Amino acid sequence: MENIKQNPVVKKLGFNRIILFCILLLMYGVFSVIIPGFASMDRIMSILNYTYFLGFLALGVTFVIATGGIDFSIGPVMFCCALMAGYTLNTHGAPVIVSLIMSIVIGFCFGCFNGYLVAFVGVPPFIVSMATMNIAKGLGSVFTKTQSVSWPQGNDPSGKGWFRNLVKVGDFPVGLLIFAVAIVILYIVMNNTKAGRYILCLGSNKEAVRLSGVNVRKWQMLAYVICGALVGIAAIFFVGAYTTVQPGLGDTYNNEAIASCVMGGTSMAGGLASIGGTVIGVLVISLLQEGIMALRMTKEVQMIITGIIVIVFVYADVSARRRRN
Amino acid sequence: MGEVILTMKNIDKSFPGVHALDHVDFELKRGEVHALMGENGAGKSTLMKVLTGIYTKDSGTITYEGREVEFHNTHDAQAAGIVIVHQELNMVGDLTVAQNIFIGREFKKGFMIDDRKMIQESKKLFDELHINIDPKAKMSDLTVGKQQMCEIAKAISHQAKVIIFDEPSAALTEKEIEDLFAIIRDLRKQNLGIIYISHRMDEIKVITDRVTVMRDGAYVGTLITDECTKEDIINMMVGRVIYEDPKTHSMVPADAPVVLKVEHLNAGKMVQDVSFELRKGEILGFSGLMGAGRTEMARALFGADPKTGGDIYINGKKVTINSPEDAVKNGIGYLSEDRKRFGIVVQKTITENSTLATLPKYMSGLFINKGAEKEVTEQYIKELDTKTPSADQLVVNLSGGNQQKVVIAKWLVRNCDILIFDEPTRGIDVGAKNEIYKLMNRLAAEGKSIIMISSEMTEILRMSDRIIVMCEGKKTGEISIEEATQEAIMDKATRDIK
Amino acid sequence: MTKKKSIFTQEVIVGIVLVALYFIFRTISSDFGKYTTFLSMMDISYYYALMAIGVAFPLITGGVDLSIGTGMICYALAGGCLIRFYNVPTGLAMLVSILFGLGIGLANGVLISVMGLPPFLATLCTCMITRGLGSVVTGSFAIPWPTAKQDNGWFHSIFKITLADKTKLPLGLVWIILLMLIMQFVLAHTRFGRYTIAIGSNKEAAILSGINVKFYHIMVYAVSGLFAGLASIAYAAVIKTVQPGTGAGMELDAIGGAIVGGVSASGGYGTIYGTVIGAYVILFLKQGLPYIGFNANMQQIITGFVLIGAVTIDIIKRKVIK
Repeated sequence: MENIKQNPVVKKLGFNRIILFCILLLMYGVFSVIIPGFASMDRIMSILNYTYFLGFLALGVTFVIATGGIDFSIGPVMFCCALMAGYTLNTHGAPVIVSLIMSIVIGFCFGCFNGYLVAFVGVPPFIVSMATMNIAKGLGSVFTKTQSVSWPQGNDPSGKGWFRNLVKVGDFPVGLLIFAVAIVILYIVMNNTKAGRYILCLGSNKEAVRLSGVNVRKWQMLAYVICGALVGIAAIFFVGAYTTVQPGLGDTYNNEAIASCVMGGTSMAGGLASIGGTVIGVLVISLLQEGIMALRMTKEVQMIITGIIVIVFVYADVSARRRRN
Repeated sequence: MGEVILTMKNIDKSFPGVHALDHVDFELKRGEVHALMGENGAGKSTLMKVLTGIYTKDSGTITYEGREVEFHNTHDAQAAGIVIVHQELNMVGDLTVAQNIFIGREFKKGFMIDDRKMIQESKKLFDELHINIDPKAKMSDLTVGKQQMCEIAKAISHQAKVIIFDEPSAALTEKEIEDLFAIIRDLRKQNLGIIYISHRMDEIKVITDRVTVMRDGAYVGTLITDECTKEDIINMMVGRVIYEDPKTHSMVPADAPVVLKVEHLNAGKMVQDVSFELRKGEILGFSGLMGAGRTEMARALFGADPKTGGDIYINGKKVTINSPEDAVKNGIGYLSEDRKRFGIVVQKTITENSTLATLPKYMSGLFINKGAEKEVTEQYIKELDTKTPSADQLVVNLSGGNQQKVVIAKWLVRNCDILIFDEPTRGIDVGAKNEIYKLMNRLAAEGKSIIMISSEMTEILRMSDRIIVMCEGKKTGEISIEEATQEAIMDKATRDIK
Repeated sequence: MTKKKSIFTQEVIVGIVLVALYFIFRTISSDFGKYTTFLSMMDISYYYALMAIGVAFPLITGGVDLSIGTGMICYALAGGCLIRFYNVPTGLAMLVSILFGLGIGLANGVLISVMGLPPFLATLCTCMITRGLGSVVTGSFAIPWPTAKQDNGWFHSIFKITLADKTKLPLGLVWIILLMLIMQFVLAHTRFGRYTIAIGSNKEAAILSGINVKFYHIMVYAVSGLFAGLASIAYAAVIKTVQPGTGAGMELDAIGGAIVGGVSASGGYGTIYGTVIGAYVILFLKQGLPYIGFNANMQQIITGFVLIGAVTIDIIKRKVIK
């Protein structure tokens, strides 16, 4: 066992991530065996639908957790983006492109708001998340007068459904391409740019980074801003796949996004983050959600399983670190 | 000295990969102050942790008051009368003094904690020790020295028979150290056994009866303090001779230009109207007692803490420094006294730490040029003789001395002309200390200007070209190295206290 | 040493705000002043206040308990199921609900204290798990507890009694105040309370003082769970039908109440009376704003800003003292 862990390839990829990937394959195998017709293209497309928006949420929050912070307002913020942009599209007749940009801008603004409060005012991230969650839910409801918003279908006569091509064209998963490009870009941002370096270092020891002459507040805020913008993008993929959003909801997606990060090896203490791990985590949860649905069980069962998996993974991580010290 | 109260024989303890204690012997008598000495990592703390039940020993015996004992936690040890005054203060800041002293063994009245009785008992305790502290004060409102006194009072209140002091003087002023020694002498008279861990040689000579020296987890020997010299002890500690000869004259040429001029620097109570000049190639020593405001001065100068007034000139030009960012842009680097908290990012690699202050220089376009980064890191690993298998090593795995070199490398990569070394050798063992000294001398010879804050008199006298003494936030003296003596410095450092 | 303590602690300020809010709402809206409004607001307040009292303890240790909202629903569902499907006497079902809460609290404590999981994550997981358990137990059906008119609906009168002349009295308020005083006493004058503060202020020091920190840390979460259990009874008494899958977000209102009431977000300080006052401030905003003409959803936005405002004031105050 120890030998395997010391293998350079394993070390580079991360032992826990390999285990997680094996779990992913195993789950897929089990579902395919026990559920007739699970191993079909339709199912995969359906899993991918879930992967896109959850993926953008989880990748966003990975940056925040890397700074040692937390943002569990992302679910409601995503809904807020989708509601406000969708309402503008339907009721005020805005062009689709404007609505899409609006969604990203709203997410971006929430990111700025959160980031500013955490980095410059010094409000604990936990409190900011709680507040923003309320604000996002309230804003979404007030703006839409508490009505749910349905984005246009692909065959909408107005031609406004074209944004669904971002998710898929015919049977071709365009979303997967976009998602893959985003993963690559975010991986590079995290590991090969100044922003990523500073975010990871300040997550580990903020004061030491500040005393190295780095404007830590700016970079800490940036993590929240990146997260916010990605949440805005997640909103687009959410409505692209699921059409309708209701005000006052979205909480469950926070938990799933944070769970994906943590499973993938991003440390809640900050300073350690894995984009690849987060993506595998997202796939695990998407697959689980599809499998549970196919088994005609409720979403709640999925939550129990997710909760248990996260506990196991975090415990493995915590006890491994204890042994090292 | 009375009969033996405590004997530790053949104590052995291993951690994964480290043989922390290698069959160590130790003996303590009643009415004795017994010094335990050794470099960092010699195993002193581990031995004490085994004694007080924090660690379990692998083998060996502990005989206490004639019986073989084994404590499973600090509570057991306390109940038996063995208490430890920790080096890091062990106080709950949000509770009061009395609540802290009796934490874990509160007086009770039914369900309720009897706070009134605890306050009375604390008062009694303080009266016995002749200290003046309000038991109802919140712990976080006290000075570090007073907190330490509370810690001692707490230890004594356990009906202790053996008290362990783990570097008690590190954070105390001279006056407070005197008070501490008076208390220790008192305790000795009461026939308690006292174990005193310290790095300060002069204290050992003053207060202790015997000295046990450890090295690399092993027992080296026990000496009677009055019969040995400082050099004897040092030789046992390091197993080699070290040089502690003071500098006799300034190495700075008479016509060296002034690179940094600070005028009327103010920052709260701790820095009041400090002015000085620093010349090219100079090592300017800042001496003073703990709490004299030297670190605060450095932090204000560096922009780490806000200042309330003062002008800073670099190479004759006035500059504004409101943040570390400004300071670094103006070519100032700061090596903090608390490396782990302020100096390094321990969970990151040497490379990532080395370029932390210089990252914009290692960018090609939007991306970090990892090759160039590694190259420069490896260059400085070689130049500073940092002991590490590779540049990708996590800093957490390095020793204190090598961590300090990584911090130095960070500022050298940045090519800072002015370096502030705040307690550069704190927590670094004697061998590595000399390397740091050599390095600082070399940097000065190459034309860097260094401000060195140090609480060790020998360090100040050995390294400085000129010495500034501070006391209670004010500059109280400036002495050239030719005229400097310990007495002269101490006189200025304590001017207002006596 | 002779630093004078200002009498305007956060608790006092929040108390004043609470009274001011009440009178402002009363002045603007005549409906708000009605006794029935007051009664219905009190009904809703009990479970929030109970959750807030409980969660104050983890907050003071520097942790958090996110599982109380969905947990409360889960315990209420479990108790309701027993009455409905197994004809269990109401008293016994209530006991089961409370013990269920205690059990989940203990589980949180073990995850955090013994296994070393970060409180946020551990309770996030139990939040998901209790939410799921609630649905699994009931087969995703809503469960009504007995109504006040039914024989086994006596538990309603714990919180609200009807006198002979048909006036209703909010008896629950008495229990809340009583529990608040008891828990404040526990916090200030018992070992458990003292060690709760010690863990939040300097855990390492507490361990080295020979305190069994692991045990007390578990107990802190057990208390939080226990109060979530109590809250589930109050919830069942007010909300006629308990829906599985709800409850998420309620913990945030309770936590927000504690924070507004002066509990330090980083641990080490807090009072229970402050917590309860804070919880009522949040509740007044939640319930009262619609009365003075605000869109019902505006209150969420305002609550968010109030929370940030309360913490920001605290931050600024500490900076000024320094």
